[in-house]
Amino acid sequence: MTLNRRALLGRAGLLAGAGAAVAVSGGALAACAPDAPPPPATVPFRGRYQAGIETPSQDRLAFAAFDLEPGMTRADLVALLTTWSAAAEAMTRGQPVPGRSDDQNSPPADTGEAMDLAPGNLTVTLGFGPSLFDARFGLADRRPAAFTTLPALPNEILDPARSGGDIGVQACSEDPQVAFHVIRNLARLGRGTVVTRWTQLGFGRTSSTSTSQVTARNLMGFKDGTRNIKVEDAAAMGRSVWVDPADVPGPASWMAGGSYLVTRRIRMILETWDRDPLFDQEDVFGRSKVDGAPLSGGTEFTPPDFAKTLASGQPAIPLDAHIRLAAPENNGGAGLLRRGYNYTDNVDPATGLLDAGLFFIAYMRAPEQFVRIQSSLGNRDALNEYIRHTSSALFACPPGVAEGDPADYWGRRLVEA
Amino acid sequence: MSRLARPVLCVGALLLTTGIVAACSSGGGQEGPPEQKVTLALSDQGCAPQPAQVPAGPVTFTVTNTGSNAVTEGEIQQDNRILGEKENVTPGLSQDFSLRLDPGTYTVYCPGAAQDTATFTVTGEGGQAPAPTDPSLTTATAGYRQYVIEQVGLLVPATKQFTDAVRSGDVARAQQLFAPARYHYETIEPVAESFGDLDPAIDLREPDVEPGTDWTGFHRIEKSLWTANTTAGMAPYADRLDQDIARLQQLVGTAEYQPAQIANGGSELLTEVSTSKITGEEDAFSHTDLSDFDANIAGAQECFELLRPALQQRDPALAQQLQARFTGITDALQPYQRGEAAPGVPAYVSYDTVTEEQRRVLADRVNALAEPLSQVSGKVA
Repeated sequence: MTLNRRALLGRAGLLAGAGAAVAVSGGALAACAPDAPPPPATVPFRGRYQAGIETPSQDRLAFAAFDLEPGMTRADLVALLTTWSAAAEAMTRGQPVPGRSDDQNSPPADTGEAMDLAPGNLTVTLGFGPSLFDARFGLADRRPAAFTTLPALPNEILDPARSGGDIGVQACSEDPQVAFHVIRNLARLGRGTVVTRWTQLGFGRTSSTSTSQVTARNLMGFKDGTRNIKVEDAAAMGRSVWVDPADVPGPASWMAGGSYLVTRRIRMILETWDRDPLFDQEDVFGRSKVDGAPLSGGTEFTPPDFAKTLASGQPAIPLDAHIRLAAPENNGGAGLLRRGYNYTDNVDPATGLLDAGLFFIAYMRAPEQFVRIQSSLGNRDALNEYIRHTSSALFACPPGVAEGDPADYWGRRLVEA
Repeated sequence: MSRLARPVLCVGALLLTTGIVAACSSGGGQEGPPEQKVTLALSDQGCAPQPAQVPAGPVTFTVTNTGSNAVTEGEIQQDNRILGEKENVTPGLSQDFSLRLDPGTYTVYCPGAAQDTATFTVTGEGGQAPAPTDPSLTTATAGYRQYVIEQVGLLVPATKQFTDAVRSGDVARAQQLFAPARYHYETIEPVAESFGDLDPAIDLREPDVEPGTDWTGFHRIEKSLWTANTTAGMAPYADRLDQDIARLQQLVGTAEYQPAQIANGGSELLTEVSTSKITGEEDAFSHTDLSDFDANIAGAQECFELLRPALQQRDPALAQQLQARFTGITDALQPYQRGEAAPGVPAYVSYDTVTEEQRRVLADRVNALAEPLSQVSGKVA
């Protein structure tokens, strides 16, 4: 089932863009009939919010973090964001990067690998790192008060070369090549103004972000995101994901309608996990592996009963279970819109173990929400034995590029006087 | 040098100009004569073109191999320069390449065949690529020709000093003269690369040596000087190097260049830097990579300076950006310079003292320059 979903999303998903509902049976095959090509699935680039946050999770990710080169000015930043916005908008429509691609004597403006591929619901989402608000661009007074570098958190051994960045770009599509095409072309357009600090590819969304989606599984084999905020829940989105104008008064008001993005590369020690007995795997998460129901009973979407005890007197959901420590009701109501992807990157040369896991992505109204939950997981989370956070980044994603205003671009209200 | 794939860069990069106006032709709606099709059938006997004569204009060559294991490569040459080729066409394969050819006589070459050359004729009016009409471009092409001749004029005696030291068994002196001799080669390397086998003979690196062939040139001697600390057995390679450099001098004396080729040559030099100098692969034994690095940049900057007046008229913003980015890389190199190795040739610290982080800074500057530089050929073509 999981394999079918992946295989079909990779192809038919491009055509139908309908995710699991279409991908279940022969309906997807019918969509491939040569005589009736359905319109390519696209997501509008412009809007009140940036696309790629409340967009139902696509199947593939290409993420890149960039640093501004030494000596760059505010004007360079404006030129970069203007160019990038135009290029990203074109790509989300399935068009090439603007410029000439047919002059025999010049390198083509677009690198070409997305030609003939459908956009597959491509979204490109951009955010600014805390480092952008240092002295270089005169933006220090526009930094929202809530937006500071994440504190040191438990169970992290961070690789600085894979962490942070002045600007982060998340490209998501049903087609990995379409997503990669975005970060490659943005890097190229920015050459001389920015250098790529790190990149991360992700396969297989690990979170369902829409009630229309089947809950996906992470590499540990568990359903992930059952209790995720769903984009259809406008109240929860307003409460936990979108930055309210009241949150960012005065010079920080550019961030109203934006959202904070936290990325964490969470390596899973899959080899030891795979040697753990099923009962213990389920105790670690607090859910049944196959159907995803909480250990307090019911089905996948039954709310967990953290107070329930077994006949032995032990809590049904162990005290160190991941879902207990991460639950909003145990974290002062703090919720996150998780939007992560699985990753795998070769073998750890020292141990011979796979470097694989979850590239965690979450959007939130204030970075403090993540800090609170991660601190709560702290050293108590039973899952910690099998995971390690190896990278961390935080970005402030501005609101969407305005519809009907061709002159608007990503972060204009931040970078223009 | 840039590995074994390099002769292919002749198509689209620094080509001889007497035969070619535009190298890559895909018939993209351009006006002009219809495309001609020519087959080069590889066999142990040879590779005679079919037909052997076509009218001037775009020509697509199809190299086919119906069963020869010995002959797997077909080239079109003129005046010893490769205009286009397909390599590794193994039995059963068929591959195309396209050229836009002016009237004249060309040579088909298929190494390994009993009759390894054949004549190919292009008929029609004219016979020369049209000279650029923009006077600033005429000045640029003449200036570049002059520059190449000048650099090779410096290369000949600098190499002779180096090879003399090798022949006399003076290891220390040979080590000292290695980088400054190479300097004048690295400034114009794409030109040398356009002369077929000459660049591999002069500048091949050890990992690129094909089994069964003799490794010659600068890096052969470099390895002996730095790893074995001896000149023993190197005299024949020193002699051969002198001969190859003399041959280069002869060839550049008659070569002409098109504005776009100068621009592409500049880009090629930056490709050299970012793929083999930054990594320290070029001078793996002597660690004199920064000297080559400087020479590549200097050669690219010469290309830019010559084209700058024309570029200034056509795209002043690009000209200004390139100026700033050239400054960016020369400023970044400067802290590593240590006086001069020879008059006009800067000396540099050993590249193995440059940290990964420092190399990354240099790499970023090179890439920042290379991107806009790649736009120049389209502006001046």
